[in-house]
Amino acid sequence: MSDVAISTRGLRKTYRTRRGRKVVAVQGLDLDVPAGGVHGFLGPNGSGKTTSIRMLLGLVRSDAGTMTVFGKTVPAQLPEVVGRVGAIVESPKFFPAFTGRKNLELLAEAIGAPRTRVGEVLDQTSLGERGNDRFRSYSLGMKQRLAIAATLLKDPDLLIFDEPTNGLDPAGIREIRETMRGLGDRGKTVLVSSHILAEVEQVADTVSIIGHGRLLASGTVAEVIGGGAAPTVKVAVANHEAATRILTAAGMTVRADGNYLLVEGAPEPADVTRRLAHQELYVSELVPVRADLESVFLELTEGEGL
Amino acid sequence: MIRLTKVELRRLTARRLTIVGLAGLFVITVMLLTATWFNARPLSTVEQQRAQQQFELAHKDWVDNAAVNRQQCEADWKTQPDPKPTLEDMCAYPEPKLEDFGKPKTVFAEIMPDLLQGSSYFLAFAAFLIGASFIGAEFSSGAIGNWLTFEPRRLRVYGSKLLAAATGFVPIAAVTLAIVLLGTFLIVDRLGDTAGVTGHTWGDLSAIGGRAVVTTALAAVLGCVVGLLLRHTAAAIGVVMAYLVLAEGVFAAFLEKAQPWLVRVNFDAFVRHDAQYYVTECKSGNDGSYGCESVVKTLTFEHGAWYLATLAVVMVLIGGWVFHRRDVN
Ligand SMILES: Nc1ncnc2c1ncn2[C@@H]1O[C@H](COP(=O)(O)OP(=O)(O)OP(=O)(O)O)[C@@H](O)[C@H]1O
Ligand SMILES: [Mg+2]
Repeated sequence: MSDVAISTRGLRKTYRTRRGRKVVAVQGLDLDVPAGGVHGFLGPNGSGKTTSIRMLLGLVRSDAGTMTVFGKTVPAQLPEVVGRVGAIVESPKFFPAFTGRKNLELLAEAIGAPRTRVGEVLDQTSLGERGNDRFRSYSLGMKQRLAIAATLLKDPDLLIFDEPTNGLDPAGIREIRETMRGLGDRGKTVLVSSHILAEVEQVADTVSIIGHGRLLASGTVAEVIGGGAAPTVKVAVANHEAATRILTAAGMTVRADGNYLLVEGAPEPADVTRRLAHQELYVSELVPVRADLESVFLELTEGEGL
Repeated sequence: MIRLTKVELRRLTARRLTIVGLAGLFVITVMLLTATWFNARPLSTVEQQRAQQQFELAHKDWVDNAAVNRQQCEADWKTQPDPKPTLEDMCAYPEPKLEDFGKPKTVFAEIMPDLLQGSSYFLAFAAFLIGASFIGAEFSSGAIGNWLTFEPRRLRVYGSKLLAAATGFVPIAAVTLAIVLLGTFLIVDRLGDTAGVTGHTWGDLSAIGGRAVVTTALAAVLGCVVGLLLRHTAAAIGVVMAYLVLAEGVFAAFLEKAQPWLVRVNFDAFVRHDAQYYVTECKSGNDGSYGCESVVKTLTFEHGAWYLATLAVVMVLIGGWVFHRRDVN
């Protein structure tokens, strides 16, 4: 067994819009997803995450580049590995007028899975009795669960979730996160796309960040954030001018942000309080600003000429 | 492929539109038989008496006046300008018969082919509609994307869907046509005339029915292909309606000579084994007059069969090619 679950080289896709305009969705993406564990696939809206996933699943034809899934060339050899891959692309899509159970039964029959498996996966995703309701009547969370249940029919080694928490409530988000973590811990490979770093960093072992259809960074979460923005703190203080002077003199970068000052380059948030207090300026509020994907992303794309 | 086809058949039979469509077919069949029954019903005694009276009046009139009328007419005939109608055409006064009054008897062998042909129309329509929505719904709901993550071999997926639609409609069409055929026979046997119905008659009728089963399966397949190409049930139905109105209606009326290349006449020619259509032919005579007449033309069974087969193959190939290459969202 190879130690990469997914690998792409020079992957490219250009869409032609209805008016004939060309949209480059993915341009030369080199992505490596290690086998085992959760891999976050991050990028802002429109950066080409869904398109890349669709190409991996053979739903969309690539214009150029190569892809492998568990060492098999995709899409040519996709039929050989598709049984090991479960995927939810964008929102879960099933036959709306059929019950959840009926939808799963059809899928199970198509792949030759035993019918008893349907009951099992419904129970595993705690859909149980709601399985006999029409898919149309499901809440978003239930749809998402049914989609997960469908992927479990195959007992796949690789799960691809495209923004699985979109529109879910905090409990739903937590549940999905736990499901992914559980799968990762059992040695499965989970590729989860998102445009929110915070959502992924708690579960992901490794991440890849893309922008405009290109790979910008990849590695462990710590590596990627650490290599990005320095910690920033948001400070409330009465005298902005004096505070700016003092902190700038100490080698920090200060920007005004409404009633707050945004301070970058402080070794520790405590340094800010200490230096200001020395000059009799008292901090009424101090919030460390988390390095989010947006700032990491902005930083990463600086000078990229994008 | 067989497994996939079975799954698709299961899905086809589980769909609500299929159930509704079958119920609709059943209702139409019952209505058709009821109408046949009404048409074949003999007159009531009152009506029969009235017919008898009419006949007696007419007969008396004939006895009293036929000879005089005949003489008068022959005199008129002599003064007719050329070209004259024949004397017999112009001046025949046949003796009235009782059968000419009241209602003619329904003859099984005469009405049955038309009934089967009529049934083949609504079967084809139902099959097209259900086929189009069978695939159209899959694309408009996006379920096809999910399906392809379970079976990425698109041509198999495509083939299984068409096969399911076609095979699913064979028993439906066969049963519907059998009900129409046997139901009509029983009705006409009681109320009308089934004398002279031989094995040969049954053979001909079964052949029409068999070909109507084929056209139904074909319509289901075409429905699937059009549903796939347009991705929405409503769009598929809209296109077919537009075709029927514009091409088969307006275009065929203005360009009657194009009829052999339109679907309807070919459909008829295939189901009925040769079909007639009308073309208006106009020409100027030697004397400078100009006149038009309606000419009956025959379209052969072979023409119809080749036409439908080619249409089916071309559409299936186009659908397969498009589906094979299409990006699925
Ligand atoms: N079917 C399509 N036709 C034309 N353009 C498309 C199509 N699908 C995607 N695009 C374009 O390709 C680009 C990448 O889209 P994609 O959906 O892959 O982004 P994404 O990273 O998944 O974004 P999001 O976070 O919003 O889901 C966008 O500019 C989008 O407009
Ligand atoms: Mg997306």
